[in-house]
Amino acid sequence: METGRPLFIPVILGTVRLGRMSLHAAQLVTGELAKRAGIETDLIDIAKIPLPTNDAGEAIKHADFSAKMDKADALVVVSPEYNHGYSGLLKHVLDSCLKEYIHKAVGIVGVSAGPFGGTRVIQNLLPVMREIGLVTIFWDVNFSSVQKAFAEDGRLLDESYIRRIDKFLKELIWMAKTLRQGREQISLD
Amino acid sequence: MAKTNKMICPRCKVEMNHHCDKVVYNADTHDAGKTEPDLGGIIEEFHACPKCGGGASRRA
Repeated sequence: METGRPLFIPVILGTVRLGRMSLHAAQLVTGELAKRAGIETDLIDIAKIPLPTNDAGEAIKHADFSAKMDKADALVVVSPEYNHGYSGLLKHVLDSCLKEYIHKAVGIVGVSAGPFGGTRVIQNLLPVMREIGLVTIFWDVNFSSVQKAFAEDGRLLDESYIRRIDKFLKELIWMAKTLRQGREQISLD
Repeated sequence: MAKTNKMICPRCKVEMNHHCDKVVYNADTHDAGKTEPDLGGIIEEFHACPKCGGGASRRA
């Protein structure tokens, strides 16, 4: 059942590192989402979420981030691969919510300077996503040799990414619609 | 055991849909005694509003 409410699918940029090329990937995916009818999106930069680091988890929930996660029907997480893993600050931000994520879809975009396109960071993020109640899709987007995929000003140099992102977003949106129906209409009991 | 009373959406004042129970492994020591021994954690119920889509949770 379509409710008429647009789907809200924010994109989380999961790194604070200076010079991060993942910013270009996050902007590209946000732009592709924004082109679609019935979809609202927002680019959430974890560098702009002022979470303390002397505590962790839901105790340090940030009101604006929590409200966006509550409103969200699905998430895109854009993560670079640092030493085969994800940024510690991305995990710190994700851990600050729980009820906001339950039974919502997530797609992961991996970014790396090397040839593997963040495949290892995606694999490492999957169990985290599962435990915080998000439902992962089977499409990923892998930006390998990201320095060749974008110009310095963020312009996309390899148009083949557009088709991959289209497939990824179609699956994510289908899952977002399905899970919204489930959350709102299908009882556990 | 799940509570039988429905949660009410604070915005829309309509009954919410109980769509999930989840074991939460709380690291906070003041909750340690509340852990359900058969399940290894605390059971949290998750509810969604069919009108606005907002979510809410409570301990089972």
